[in-house]
Amino acid sequence: MNRRTVDVSIPLGPVHPCFKEPARIKCETRGEYVLSAEVELGYMKKGIERIMKGRPWQEVMFLAERVCGICSVIHNMVFIEAMESISAIEVPDRAAMLRVVANELDRMQSHLLANFSYCYTIEHETLAMYLLDQRETVMDMLERLTGARVTCAYIVPGGVRADILPDDMNFITSGLRELEKNISRYMRMFETAPLIGLRSRSIGNLTLEAASRAHAVGPTARASGINEDRRLFHPTYKRLCFQPVTRKEGDNYARIMVRFQEVMQSIGIIRQCLSGLPHGKVRGGGTCSAGAVRYSGEAPRGELTYEITTDDAGRVVEIAIQTPSIMNIEVCTHDLLTGAESIADVTSIFVSCDPCIACTER
Amino acid sequence: MTLLQKIKNIVRSRSIHVCYVDVGSCNGCDIEVLACLSPRYDIEQYGIVVHNNPREADILLIIGAFTPGWEDKLRMVWDRIPAPKAAVAIGNCPVSGCCFNRPGSLVDPPVSKHIPVAASVPGCPPRPTEILSAILSIAPTVFRDYEVNQ
Repeated sequence: MNRRTVDVSIPLGPVHPCFKEPARIKCETRGEYVLSAEVELGYMKKGIERIMKGRPWQEVMFLAERVCGICSVIHNMVFIEAMESISAIEVPDRAAMLRVVANELDRMQSHLLANFSYCYTIEHETLAMYLLDQRETVMDMLERLTGARVTCAYIVPGGVRADILPDDMNFITSGLRELEKNISRYMRMFETAPLIGLRSRSIGNLTLEAASRAHAVGPTARASGINEDRRLFHPTYKRLCFQPVTRKEGDNYARIMVRFQEVMQSIGIIRQCLSGLPHGKVRGGGTCSAGAVRYSGEAPRGELTYEITTDDAGRVVEIAIQTPSIMNIEVCTHDLLTGAESIADVTSIFVSCDPCIACTER
Repeated sequence: MTLLQKIKNIVRSRSIHVCYVDVGSCNGCDIEVLACLSPRYDIEQYGIVVHNNPREADILLIIGAFTPGWEDKLRMVWDRIPAPKAAVAIGNCPVSGCCFNRPGSLVDPPVSKHIPVAASVPGCPPRPTEILSAILSIAPTVFRDYEVNQ
């Protein structure tokens, strides 16, 4: 029998200074080297899909948003667009553009939060605080557009809840200008700082083969050179000639840089939407009817899929949600944490994959 | 009141260490607690430090609607916090379970069934300013003359 020598078995979490949410990582180490790692989940399981069943879409819409508080807009968007594709509801052009604006603002705040967490984990508190401050600017814009900071329920079947006011448009445009200036500065800081490089470059290497074998999604996959993004298949993004950001390195550094570049890309997309915003109404109306669909969208963390069956009254009969984080947590555990050079890198590798435990467990 | 008690009262109102524990929320409240750290709200200017370590905490922020995974663990976290201590419930979930408290779900709110909760900040999610003002108003009330009241 093959026996391994394990020095110490180190549990991290569930309450840990580096984690936003409860998860437990169990590492077996020999010296500094991590022999094996295991992520233990189950602290956040609420059973949302169980309570969604049999409820009208009006209620499920709010529950869908509360699957994940960080990326609430995309959950709202994917659920509503799935309902629309079941019921063949048309969306006015103006509303479709405003959806993209809300979605990209949400992506920006989520990516900035992820990068904040990473910088905080590698103890670069200055850059972390700069990024968190920029995130507040994005939250302001989101609040001006939708009326709430976090769970905003902006997207409804057949359009969006409220039109954008000229005042808010100016606020967002001037905010974006400021943001672009600051984020490009912080990006340069991250790119060129030697100490950040030491903690990030060639740490947590994820090869293209390993990433595609384990079906990594989102920025984690795109940092390893996989060119996949559900936004490529979205009709509104197609009109905006969207192209995903990819990098080749596949380490912690690449994952954070992909997020930085996507924030800059989102700024461009929002500008494009607002400058070419068509006139007209923002709510077309429609009736939700019976049917079944499998619909995917690109959440800040990767591909998000809803599989819904509804009845004639618009009630949700069956629902299954597949969230991106479960893929990335698996990739992170088996390919990145196992065999990590140092136990000190475990938290930073885990955080660089941007795991969202609330999404994963629902 | 002794001089020592006076000093303790002053020090305790200026140095509040916070630990937050998520017992099953949508993590909307988590990130609003994190937003308190940002330079705009700057939680540290009031002497509040978020360490997220129960052993050096004074205030425990509880987020979420209490899932079965925390059945014994929340009590363990609470017991590890040295006295004087207080728990503050953030958001609707620890108070009522919010939208998760439906037949068939796994949550078991309110959190006050499991550990004593001193204050709650309702909202889905509450704004960072509300979280800040709740911590600032609860801390002096609980910690003033703690030894005398004992």
